[in-house]
Amino acid sequence: MILRPRTEDLKTIGYYLGKIIIGLGLIMLLPFVLAILFNEINPGLDFLISSGISLLIGLLLSRLCFTNKDLNWMQGMIVISFSWLVAMLLGAIPLNLSGHWKSYLDACFEAMSGFATTGLTLVQDLDHLSYTHNLWRHLGPFIGGQGIAIVALSFFVKGTSGAFKMYVGEAREERLLPNVIHTSRFIWLISITYLILGTLVLGIIGILIGMKPVNAFFHGVCIFMAGFDTAGFAPQSQNVLFYHSLTFEIATIIIIILGSLNFNLHYQLWVGRRKEIFKNIETKVFFTSIMLAFLIVVIGLNRLGVYPKAIILLRKGFFQLISGHTTTGYATIYARQFISDWGNLALVTLIAAMGLGGCACSTAGGIKMLRLGIIFKALKEDIKRIILPEKAIVTVKFHHMKEVLLEDKAVRATLLITLSYLTLYGIGALIGTFFGYPFLDSLFESTSAAANVGFSCGITDAGMPAVLKLTYIFQMWAGRLEFMSIFTLIGFLVAAIRGKK
Amino acid sequence: MIIKPTSNIILGIATEILYALLIILTGFLICLI
Repeated sequence: MILRPRTEDLKTIGYYLGKIIIGLGLIMLLPFVLAILFNEINPGLDFLISSGISLLIGLLLSRLCFTNKDLNWMQGMIVISFSWLVAMLLGAIPLNLSGHWKSYLDACFEAMSGFATTGLTLVQDLDHLSYTHNLWRHLGPFIGGQGIAIVALSFFVKGTSGAFKMYVGEAREERLLPNVIHTSRFIWLISITYLILGTLVLGIIGILIGMKPVNAFFHGVCIFMAGFDTAGFAPQSQNVLFYHSLTFEIATIIIIILGSLNFNLHYQLWVGRRKEIFKNIETKVFFTSIMLAFLIVVIGLNRLGVYPKAIILLRKGFFQLISGHTTTGYATIYARQFISDWGNLALVTLIAAMGLGGCACSTAGGIKMLRLGIIFKALKEDIKRIILPEKAIVTVKFHHMKEVLLEDKAVRATLLITLSYLTLYGIGALIGTFFGYPFLDSLFESTSAAANVGFSCGITDAGMPAVLKLTYIFQMWAGRLEFMSIFTLIGFLVAAIRGKK
Repeated sequence: MIIKPTSNIILGIATEILYALLIILTGFLICLI
């Protein structure tokens, strides 16, 4: 029997949603400050209006729904699902006001793409977009990468139990420290430390390749935020190709690899357990998967003679592969070259790498390396069971921060999420094919959206059907939140309609 | 929450960058083959 949600449930959800919206409204003031510094009056007003609307809605919600109660699991999941949708709707307002997006739907697409750390874009005339709006485009991934709710709540919420439910809802299962608020603050410490380091390095490289210092550091901060958070946005329409610099590309590769590592792994290394990086199942699987995929990509590209020199192969082939595998989406080739130059073998391998993604509990999307490792371990266990005598007791362990015994419960959860991802990739590809795009192109774009990669082979365009835009928005949302909070929201809506009082 | 000593953070960051460089170097070796 399904029970209809109580008024208490709605009040608690509204209260926490209000707090998150207030947090978002306050973050919108950052681009406003930049607008003042850069003397960009109109863009600044866009953010003042958007921030005002967000703060008003947030304050109203948290006042009307005031409660002292902590969240339960269902409410936590609903708050997360809703907060990402609300963040998209509010985050799109300043973008839409800029006039650089053809419709509010396009601006919503861009906002979700940013928050979900995807990187697909529908912006018009990006090269003439204001600094202020560009900062907001890149700030989105930086907030979304850590988790929209956890960003807001680590500063507003007193009770840690409710915050933990939201932390899990945003596809983070691993607590680095016993207290989830401390965990989220440590995630901030990592991100801010690397933000300073990364911006400095990219800024200096920018100056060395001839950019003006202000531009070099602005590009540095933008590329870092969208790179470390594996989003793939860039301030110029040519993306990383714009810089024409091997040093810049290598620095970017390092940043995106660091961003796609598990936050728990960062923590272990930063407290002195440095051997963890060589023992951890995820780093081992990640390394093996990248190299195997790249080997196949090289075979595919060499067969067609696409990049005859080793250094070009590194800058074009390896860069795209690592960018896809970490689900970043930074590109040093033009969108259509994936289809026109790469050939089927390299392209299908790239799609597979994109679908697999980076490490769990990182800003990367996709199925994740931990799940891939668990699936291999489970397969090994089953093969052992067949080979060994029936009475033999088979146990399989793996190392992930500590020695972990492989349990059926973990394998079941892993396979369910993996199956959900594969279904999501497939459904998006089918919808793309329905609208007349070739199947491989559709699969590429669908995987790119659902695994939060951001590569485009040309389908993502302001002129694409609105239904396809909505499909990709849903894919980016579901892929980032790893399904559970979305499934809970669907269950909640069904209960609201069909449940008994 | 506070990690001590700071040298742990520096060595931690260095290890991570080393891992990333190892990936790039292996990738480049595959390019040469």
